[in-house]
Amino acid sequence: MPLFRNPRVTLLIVMALLIAAVLVIVKKPPTLGLDLSGGTRLTLEAQPAKPGEPITPRSMEALYKIIQMRVDKMGVAETIVQRAGERRLIVEIPGEKDPEKAKARIGKTGLLEFRRQGKGADGSTTWVSTGVSGRDLESADVAPDDRHGGWAVAFKLNEGAATKLRKLTEELVVHHEPMAIFFDNELISSPEVQEVIPTGSGQITGTFTYEKAKEMVDVLNAGALPLDIEFIEESSVGPLLGEASIHQSMIAGLIGLALVLVFMIGYYRMQGLVASMALIVYTLLTYAAYTLLGVTFTLAGIAGFILSIGMAVDANILIFERVKEEIKLGRTLGKAIEAGFDRAFPSIFDSNTTTLITCALLWALGTGSVKGFAITLAIGVAISMFSAITVSRTLLHLILGDNSAINPFLFGLKPSEVPAPRGAASKTSAS
Amino acid sequence: MAKPASASAKAAKAQDASYLKAGPIDVIRHRWVYLGIALALVLPGIVFMALMMMKTPNHAPLRLGIDFTGGSILQYGFEKKLSQADLPSVASVFESRGYAGPVIQIQHPKGLLGDAPTADKIPQEAAVGTDLSKSDAQTGAELGADRIQTVVSIRTKQLAKNDQSVLEEGLRKRFGAITLLQKNAIGPTLASELFTNGLLALVLAYFLIVGYLTFRFQFDYAVCAIIALVHDTLFVIGVFAILGYFYHVEVDSLFVTAILTVVGFSVHDTIVVFDRLRENTRLLFSKKLPFGHIANLSLNQTLARSINTSLTALLTLLSLYFLGGDTTRHFVLALILGIATGTFSSIFIASTLLAWWRERQEPNRLATREA
Repeated sequence: MPLFRNPRVTLLIVMALLIAAVLVIVKKPPTLGLDLSGGTRLTLEAQPAKPGEPITPRSMEALYKIIQMRVDKMGVAETIVQRAGERRLIVEIPGEKDPEKAKARIGKTGLLEFRRQGKGADGSTTWVSTGVSGRDLESADVAPDDRHGGWAVAFKLNEGAATKLRKLTEELVVHHEPMAIFFDNELISSPEVQEVIPTGSGQITGTFTYEKAKEMVDVLNAGALPLDIEFIEESSVGPLLGEASIHQSMIAGLIGLALVLVFMIGYYRMQGLVASMALIVYTLLTYAAYTLLGVTFTLAGIAGFILSIGMAVDANILIFERVKEEIKLGRTLGKAIEAGFDRAFPSIFDSNTTTLITCALLWALGTGSVKGFAITLAIGVAISMFSAITVSRTLLHLILGDNSAINPFLFGLKPSEVPAPRGAASKTSAS
Repeated sequence: MAKPASASAKAAKAQDASYLKAGPIDVIRHRWVYLGIALALVLPGIVFMALMMMKTPNHAPLRLGIDFTGGSILQYGFEKKLSQADLPSVASVFESRGYAGPVIQIQHPKGLLGDAPTADKIPQEAAVGTDLSKSDAQTGAELGADRIQTVVSIRTKQLAKNDQSVLEEGLRKRFGAITLLQKNAIGPTLASELFTNGLLALVLAYFLIVGYLTFRFQFDYAVCAIIALVHDTLFVIGVFAILGYFYHVEVDSLFVTAILTVVGFSVHDTIVVFDRLRENTRLLFSKKLPFGHIANLSLNQTLARSINTSLTALLTLLSLYFLGGDTTRHFVLALILGIATGTFSSIFIASTLLAWWRERQEPNRLATREA
């Protein structure tokens, strides 16, 4: 199934594709997975805030937005927050090598709560919720703490909560009761309420450093998490390790490619040379396709890519073996090449289809790096069919010419294996 | 004998004696030898899978990594040179905090950090990486890959909140400066999900391949191909059971990926042989040749292709195995084993079985035709 009847047209198209590929490769750096760039990946699963409460798509959406805001606030470029399934989020933070820090930052419930004293079940004094909380927060800001020095968090509640807070403080002032401010279920301060807070604006003091106050403000402004979260997976890689891995994989890939080229030329001679060119086209096009489609390079993905280089010549090997057979049967060069390609095609098609089936399964059922591997392999298979069939065919026709005599050496055949042409008549009819 | 013109060429080819001559190996005649070898390849693995099932806590035939069981793996670079004798001391740090039975292994710093040009990059990274400069007293050491003498990986159950820093402090007290190189932690829910999904993917792959092959070929072709695939899968899993038994090698999600890739590759190989077999069956139908002979012929015609294809794939994989990083080494090993056995099985198992199956039916078929 020649794509274009005229080999020169095909060649032009391939050249144009190659130039485009090289441009893409030069202009656009590849997206590196965290195992290569160094960084932290966390998978979090939403849990109901209260037992029995359902997780709705809406609350998941809210969770996603808040987590994204928190991650953005960390000031790292190219962070990723991704939905995965119904209840999961994947967070990737390049450059962050301490997952504990990232977890502390992301996992804060971010809930500011005003609590008052109450009696626990055993009669001891506890802090009980007043119903006034940071859920009704309008804004938060870092402010200098004039009284104690250091920094404080200034907050403003919305109107409804402001009224509630006013009523609450009125009551507490009368009874000389303290009010506690909890953040993330942690007691920040428990000042005695000395005056009524009328407008819903106030300050949380607690001798914070600027960083601490800023962090609280960021978390408060991003909002409280509507759902509880649990970290079900985390992985982090230091920058040194990733860099070493890229270096090693690149060398391994280049040497692997070189070995395949040497083997192909050594075994298939002229056809091998053509396959080598097709393989280089394959490598460049595939790499460009990966960058263009934003495929993330992970170590497994690179391994898949390198393996695909070894497998991409499969189609050519099939075809070339067939061409050799056809030559042995006494075909003219042009016919042998055509027959080789046509006859090998069903095998190539069937075998690649099964590979695509496994790719689809890996993609559907896998996570993270497994998905990446599946995508890289599938793209590789598709491009390898193009390069092995179209590019090789065109080059073979162009380089050898359809009517030239068959030089056994160029095909890795013994002279005795090439029958003499059946006569001038059949030679002309073949053109 | 009035045949269409296109068929006459084929007939001419079929009559060509050299075309019909079986190639260098007579697979069908020695089929029991090859099937015996196939069995011998998987048997040790099966024995060790059984042994592992008795030995491992979750009765798995393989040593399952944290991907499938949940837990944490921490990888530290130590500036002190550690030997095997130090490992109990490392373990005791974890045990004192309630993490019983950590699995601790010394890895080669060269293999992990390689000869990558890290040394000259360190000053820049120190200047740019604000997070790194903030860390703690270890700042200088954290960036000095050249100062790392030993790389140790520690596998435990999942660490509770804040325990990591406590454990690191404990390690520092005993061994001096350490650097966290890599950390992986997976919770039990995700782990069991990954395990189920992995198995599901494998089983689904088998079914879909049977379906596809039945559609493109015939049911008996599909069954024989699957037996060859199961053989390859068993072989690779068996080798990893043995590696797990003796060297504590664990399997992870990437292993499932490797197995599925092997399945894809192996069926690739089988299809090429089958495709040729089908073509030859049509071509040589009038010859009334026994199916086994056609199978032999087809095998030998595709032999060079089968071997060369595996060879090119193995060339790239071997270069990855020897030159690539540690992280993917087991993954690549599984692929190497699988591709090698995949080629073996498509030559020696799939078609021999098919020939055996067909030849058992052939006498009946011939009889009915003559009747």
